[in-house]
Amino acid sequence: MTIHSKPTTPSPSLEAVMRPVETARGLPNEHYIDEAVFAEESKAVLLNNWAGVGFGKDVPNAGDVKPIDFLGQPLLLTRDEDGLVRVFQNVCRHRGMILVDEAKNITGAIRCPYHSWCYSLAGELKATPHVGGPGNNAHDEIKRDDLGLLEVRSYVWRDVVFVNISGDAPEFEEYASDVMQRWKEFDQPLYHGGETSSFKLDVKTNWKLAVENYCESYHLPWIHPGLNSYSRLEDHYNIEEPGAYSGQGSFVYQQLKLNGSETFPDFKNLSEKWDTSAEYIAFFPNVLFGVHRDHAYAILLEPKAIDETVEHIELYYSQPLDESFQPLLETNAAFWKSVFEEDIFVVEGMQKGRRGGLFDGGKFSPVMDTPTHIFHHWVASHVNDLRTQKAEQE
Amino acid sequence: MMGEVLQKSWLDGALIDAHSRDDNEALIALYEQAGLASEKLGDEAGACFYFTHAYVFALEQGAPQAEQIKARLVGYGRDR
Repeated sequence: MTIHSKPTTPSPSLEAVMRPVETARGLPNEHYIDEAVFAEESKAVLLNNWAGVGFGKDVPNAGDVKPIDFLGQPLLLTRDEDGLVRVFQNVCRHRGMILVDEAKNITGAIRCPYHSWCYSLAGELKATPHVGGPGNNAHDEIKRDDLGLLEVRSYVWRDVVFVNISGDAPEFEEYASDVMQRWKEFDQPLYHGGETSSFKLDVKTNWKLAVENYCESYHLPWIHPGLNSYSRLEDHYNIEEPGAYSGQGSFVYQQLKLNGSETFPDFKNLSEKWDTSAEYIAFFPNVLFGVHRDHAYAILLEPKAIDETVEHIELYYSQPLDESFQPLLETNAAFWKSVFEEDIFVVEGMQKGRRGGLFDGGKFSPVMDTPTHIFHHWVASHVNDLRTQKAEQE
Repeated sequence: MMGEVLQKSWLDGALIDAHSRDDNEALIALYEQAGLASEKLGDEAGACFYFTHAYVFALEQGAPQAEQIKARLVGYGRDR
């Protein structure tokens, strides 16, 4: 998907979104169905902040590279010889050719397939063949030190690779400080559960609707009736951090057990609270996290188009698990997949509903929908900031 | 002279074949061989053309001879 230029139609007012939840309305329909408004919003929300674009597990070994298309931005996820994950523009500094077109392992240098300019995994320009004429590989005007790959600001947290395309967001550790503090106890190594712990869902919806559905518990008894037997609506609480994240928590998490007693090993040194609690946070803009005493997951929402989203779901555990855990791993992955699949008709239905010309963004429950309003308010704030900046420039 | 023509013809064929297979190790060896053959004939420009290609594929591969081939090019004033 490519971000288009300026909106061609008047942008809808966000005044009603910015009100307190009691009187607020949700984001106007145009944010879900109008390409121009969506382009403006994508810049304000996804490119100007820290958006998730991939996982560290996608480049497990030194030399692994993986091309990523994020909102039309060609990115290259790499792991260098020191194990450091970096993100570059996947573009040669010479003629703008795409450097890598498929995931692979680089044993030496990244060679542009056009004129063979070569870059190290750290992005340094190492070779410029024939640049000064045949067999002459140097020229005074070709200053290799100035022509390394263009690096995009990135940060890996809970194995999710975040990027700030605009380059001017606060440092990630400042941007995420509240949620990092909240989940400090879970700041310990994560081990991916392997092939069966990785799946994706293609959903015909705007990515924001997946966030909105994830961060509230209001829908649980209706959409996930299987939860009612052990995790009732009143066992949940809202997680509200205006300007940063929102979500829901449960007081009654029960560990998955096979054969009556087999469970996953717990994360180390968790406080008593986590014996039965679990939390599910939408970390704005586009990453959904879940933590439990014995496993965690991350859902990266990839906006493929205004009404198409790929949900990349990865499950993690507290330690490497051997073959004996395979039945548990598969059962847990199947459980979460079934839960997330139950949500599909809802987020697709809300997308279709945004075509209703008389819909006014929706009326929030001041009690049950506060996490959703926090997200809408966050989106609207960033869009308004961008509009203000543009107005000042004009 | 005929031997050199035959050798060049063989090298050209081998290089095309190695390119078609994306066989970096063969490309490094063949381009280096072509460079050495040109060098022997006193053809510095031809030699540096071939050494350049050997160097690029060695660099891409992470092959140990990359530095040595680059040193040749630097020696000719063709690289830095």
